[in-house]
Amino acid sequence: MSVEGAVRPRARGRARRATGSRLTPYVFIAPAAVYILVLQALPLLQEIRLSFTKTTLTRPNDSTWVGLDNFIKLFSSEGFQQTLGVTAVYVVACVVGAVGVGLAVALLLDGSYRGRGIARALVTVPWAAPGVAVALIVTWMLNGQYGIATKAMKALGLIAENGVVLQDRTWALPVILLVTTWQIFPFDAVVLLSALQAVPGELKEAVKVDGGGSLWGFRAAVWPSVRATVGLLALLNAIWAIRRFDLIWITTRGGPSGRTKTLVIDLYDSAFMRGDLGSAAAVGVVGIVISLLLIGGSQLVTRAAERGGQA
Amino acid sequence: MRRRLRLGLTARLLAILVVLGLAVFPIYWMLVTATTPNAKLFSSKLSFFPDLGEFSVFGETFSDKGVMLWLWNSAIIALGTAALALVLAIPLGYALSRFRFRGKGLAGVALLMTQMLPEALLVVPLFGIFRNLNLLDSRLGLIMVNAAFVLPVVCLLIKNGIDGTPRELDEAARVDGCGPWRTLLRINLPLIAPTIAAAAVIAFFHGWNEFVFAVTFIFTDDKFPASVGIANFVGEQATSVHAMMSAALMYTIPAVVFYLIVQRYVVTGMTAGSVKG
Repeated sequence: MSVEGAVRPRARGRARRATGSRLTPYVFIAPAAVYILVLQALPLLQEIRLSFTKTTLTRPNDSTWVGLDNFIKLFSSEGFQQTLGVTAVYVVACVVGAVGVGLAVALLLDGSYRGRGIARALVTVPWAAPGVAVALIVTWMLNGQYGIATKAMKALGLIAENGVVLQDRTWALPVILLVTTWQIFPFDAVVLLSALQAVPGELKEAVKVDGGGSLWGFRAAVWPSVRATVGLLALLNAIWAIRRFDLIWITTRGGPSGRTKTLVIDLYDSAFMRGDLGSAAAVGVVGIVISLLLIGGSQLVTRAAERGGQA
Repeated sequence: MRRRLRLGLTARLLAILVVLGLAVFPIYWMLVTATTPNAKLFSSKLSFFPDLGEFSVFGETFSDKGVMLWLWNSAIIALGTAALALVLAIPLGYALSRFRFRGKGLAGVALLMTQMLPEALLVVPLFGIFRNLNLLDSRLGLIMVNAAFVLPVVCLLIKNGIDGTPRELDEAARVDGCGPWRTLLRINLPLIAPTIAAAAVIAFFHGWNEFVFAVTFIFTDDKFPASVGIANFVGEQATSVHAMMSAALMYTIPAVVFYLIVQRYVVTGMTAGSVKG
């Protein structure tokens, strides 16, 4: 007893000196925590507060509490309903397009052949190129008279006359979607490619002998090992689609007549073009709620899938 | 049978070439446009190849003070972003990897959330906060906001890196009387130097590519980063198309080259935290 009592405190003291005090972990996280609180949590709260006020860009410190007015106005305006519709189409199409193309390209690039590394590097280029530069070259390629893409579309009979496709009510959104898919698919392809490498080679060979590339073989051999990755990519792509600003703002500013106006574009337009900070913040709150629902929903799906897999 | 196999191989090779062609075409087209004289660009005939005699356009861009100033500003902002993000992320990553403490789970969730939240949705309140801090129209302000949004990815990468270093070394350092800070600086950081470098490059290019905060927070021409300067080209008639494409290419190439170098880490950083969920 007395021996133990004599030894223990010393041991504890040494252990404490070694790992520092109990406060040490908090000293390590404090700078980042303060930083995140000031630049993420605080703006989040401010956004919620602003969304219940009438505040203008010209007199930002002068806000009047208006309760739910901003939200009521938003949801009863046709413009915002269109924005929600465009955002939904944009997000779903980006996810389906980018994950679909990404998976196809990953399957295509999988395997061992000469030039594999180069192929993998080249396919990443669209994802690495800065959004602003992409917006600039896309605008030029779609120049009404001299753009190569405009000429190609005319040659294919997609458009009857030369004209600015990005200002065309029918074509603006599909074109933006196509460019976004082009920007995102490389990431999906590279991630899926590394997931595919985890599939045992023998299994792939077996499927090949059995009539390679068939849908059955894909479902039996490949799908189970990439399913979880596809789920994660779908979530990431959805968030990126909600986030995408530079491409749309620079090429169309949400036009023509709101055909390419996503939540982020609507928010920016309300705040900095129309100077209505209150309603912009309300758009932001809607966007944040949608993002959180997406994140939460995907977690539920993942958990359910895991449980299903175990049972 | 063998012939069919060869046909299949050829088809596959063709498909790969088509995909790669589509992937790089717009960037290639930037090069073609940059090296085609304006008069030729605005004619009905398309030229499909870069004109070797016109590479002097890049020299002109290099001596264009405006464009160089933009690229310089971008470099400063990007370097600052990388430095600040690392300083904040390294201790946090170490704590998340090595310590057990109350609120650790919460810290992890908060980090994931901040990684997932679309930053453009917060541009309005951040604009207000930066105005009150007198950080609008300042490169320092942009560095601060960029570091905040790249912090989660950088931190997760560093945490993963430290997770991979053997704990025995920490113990040994402890026995030798090293405190946690010295253990981190002397033992763990040198071991994960490649990860640190990759994290720095990722943060650098977050700052290099960033647009929404730059276009909102910076008003003065001589503080524009390249993203804002180049975006202003769009819809402007005065600048010659090939000159602006050459500027855009100079802005694009460093981003692409460096991303290729750290590609592996980018994928880990973006997916690591989320996979575990």
